[in-house]
Amino acid sequence: MLCQNCQKNEATTHIKRIVNGETTQAHLCSDCAKSLGYDSMFTDFSFNFPDMLSSFFNDTALASLGAHTLRCEKCGSSFGDIVRSGRIGCADCYETFYDKLLPLLERVHGKTNHVGKIPNSFEEIAKEEKSEHSELETLRAELDEAVKAQNYEKAAELRDKIKELESEGKTDE
Amino acid sequence: MNKWYIGEGDHNDIVISTRIRLARNLKDYPFPARLDNKSKIKVNELVRDALEGREKLDYTELKTLTRAQIVSLAERHIISTEFASSSDGRALLMSEDEQISIMLCEEDHIRLQVMKSGLDLQGAYELADRIDNEINEKLEYAFDERLGYLTQFPTNLGTGMRASVVLHLPALAEKGQLNSLASTVSKLGLTLRGAYGDGTAPFGDLYQLSNQVSLGISEKAAIDNLKTIALQLAAQERSAREEMKDSKLTEDAVYRAYGILKSARILSTKEFMTLISRVRYGAVCGMLKVDLKTINELMVSLQPATINAFVGRTLTKDERDVERANIVRDRL
Ligand SMILES: [Zn+2]
Ligand SMILES: [Zn+2]
Repeated sequence: MLCQNCQKNEATTHIKRIVNGETTQAHLCSDCAKSLGYDSMFTDFSFNFPDMLSSFFNDTALASLGAHTLRCEKCGSSFGDIVRSGRIGCADCYETFYDKLLPLLERVHGKTNHVGKIPNSFEEIAKEEKSEHSELETLRAELDEAVKAQNYEKAAELRDKIKELESEGKTDE
Repeated sequence: MNKWYIGEGDHNDIVISTRIRLARNLKDYPFPARLDNKSKIKVNELVRDALEGREKLDYTELKTLTRAQIVSLAERHIISTEFASSSDGRALLMSEDEQISIMLCEEDHIRLQVMKSGLDLQGAYELADRIDNEINEKLEYAFDERLGYLTQFPTNLGTGMRASVVLHLPALAEKGQLNSLASTVSKLGLTLRGAYGDGTAPFGDLYQLSNQVSLGISEKAAIDNLKTIALQLAAQERSAREEMKDSKLTEDAVYRAYGILKSARILSTKEFMTLISRVRYGAVCGMLKVDLKTINELMVSLQPATINAFVGRTLTKDERDVERANIVRDRL
């Protein structure tokens, strides 16, 4: 498809916009998109991510990633499907294709680790984990002290407690 | 019922409005592009029911609205252009004052939006956060400890938050400084672009400043950053206004604009927005005695589809331009 604005270059940017009371889609080349003020990746919440995704992963890159064999167990998407549709399939896709997506995330956000709000359910899990950890840490410190003080009876007792806590943690995972 | 923009708010000489949007998805459903209409409606109703009795919101399936009503919502930035482009399986939760709107099954299951008049990022975020928690008490979100809230587009990962303010920058536009300002703010992780019309020649000198990045930055840091830059732009606009305030040319442009708006019989969107921008500037500088509320209201309500929705039928462009001029004469 040719760019609607210059009628010369291939249109690579597809933007929905409102003109005279109607929603329309503009198909632009990257130069025209830029000169019309659509150069930012984030014109709004929904920007032209699909275009970016397909330029980031070309066919050779996809083939070398084994993009068509691995599939998300939950929604059935392959990585090729994601690139073709420009959309992630489901929450589990992020887990399945984490390594493949990481370079892209780094380029988009500059960072790859979330800081900020945590949903209720996760907040509780995070708190529990934290208290479990701190309990373990206290016990380990006490164990060190007991060993130093050559109080072996207490040390044995503490060691059992630590083992118990650690194995609980494992069965949780 | 007063709409959100009837209020005034902080820094209202320059900041028209503040908006916070949060993207959220339910853990147990694939993202909207992988859902059929039936499942989408199921998701929509789950969210509606989660807020039942908590927030006063009206639930509307988009397919029950006319095209003009839908596009009008987009023109007034209550819903996105993307949301307006298709009605299938999409629904909207909205408060009567239009301050709160929740787009259901747009590019995410939930796109929650809160609008405030003037500069009020904190207030807008607190309200969005409260509604977000209320939904989350009933429904489990798709979330990952490393990547944060999981979204259909990886660009919204992390906080899933877009914060933005709409600024009226006639003096900086007149001085031709917006392009360089836009490139400066983009280095600071923000975007500055026209809020109405095309990017390079925005209507009415209205610009939207918003945060770009949502992963690796907390809500508070993103909001603080946006607020700092918005206040800096406002300060620059004020000093640019101060410089041109005493010029006869400026005064002439303001009074001419006012004169035309008060007597024109035909007004296109573009002409109207250009002139009302000057009138707004004149009102803020004290040259004209026109209520800022009236101006803000006209600025958001005289877009094409909004006029169609207001008169209740689809007008031709010529009819619309006549209707617009009638409304403007009536209100000024
Ligand atoms: Zn072009
Ligand atoms: Zn999946």
